[in-house]
Amino acid sequence: MKRSYLSVAVLCVILMMNIVFTQLIVHQYFFEHYVTVLIYCGFNILLFPIALLVYQQDRKRKGVHHDEQ
Amino acid sequence: MDKNNKIPFQEDNYTHNIERNGERTLDRRGFMKTLVGAAGLFAVSSLPWGAVAAKELMGLSDKGYPKKKIADVSKVAIGDSVNFSFPGEHDSALLIRLSENKYVAYQNACTHLRCPVFWVKEKGEMICPCHHGKFDAQTGEPTVGPPRRPLPEIKVKVENGTIYAVGVKRYEA
Ligand code: FES
Repeated sequence: MKRSYLSVAVLCVILMMNIVFTQLIVHQYFFEHYVTVLIYCGFNILLFPIALLVYQQDRKRKGVHHDEQ
Repeated sequence: MDKNNKIPFQEDNYTHNIERNGERTLDRRGFMKTLVGAAGLFAVSSLPWGAVAAKELMGLSDKGYPKKKIADVSKVAIGDSVNFSFPGEHDSALLIRLSENKYVAYQNACTHLRCPVFWVKEKGEMICPCHHGKFDAQTGEPTVGPPRRPLPEIKVKVENGTIYAVGVKRYEA
């Protein structure tokens, strides 16, 4: 099977964004910019379903092989 | 001797019988699963921050302190200072009249180790006696010594010849 690493790359970018947003949440919290905290928090939560979607999309496209589950 | 001539010889040595097929490998899909799990973890772990921030936002709207009289304008000459406490009884604070119409007030617990900072009229600066930290009277910023953070500023208002403390300014970092 020819492997495509596109979805892996997308997931890595999502992880990177997660890290950045989390960092921003903590900093903005200590700067007492609470609205900004809420916005970044929303982004972070939104990233999870996106990641899940990317994963499922990838699974569907490849089909599940019996050596992978 | 005899058993050593068979290849592979029988030996009770666990390094010789690892089942390659039973090993867990980190393949592409496994890696992707880990990434999705990490995203979920990040999402969950940012929830408490959001919750605390939301609480702070709602709580702050009614976190006004009742205004408190500090002194009468006529009793404070230009360049003089008055000690008072605001917002609580034990939050000692310092009012300085810098000019005819300019008053500044800070909570005077030093931001280094909380010694009481006092106003030195001749030098025009606030000095901490403990380790000789100095603060700028205009802004509350530390200028000399160990303190690194500004003194929390108190908002003052003058009404009918009386000086009132109306609130504490929040840190803008
Ligand atoms: S406590 Fe004020 S300088 Fe150390």
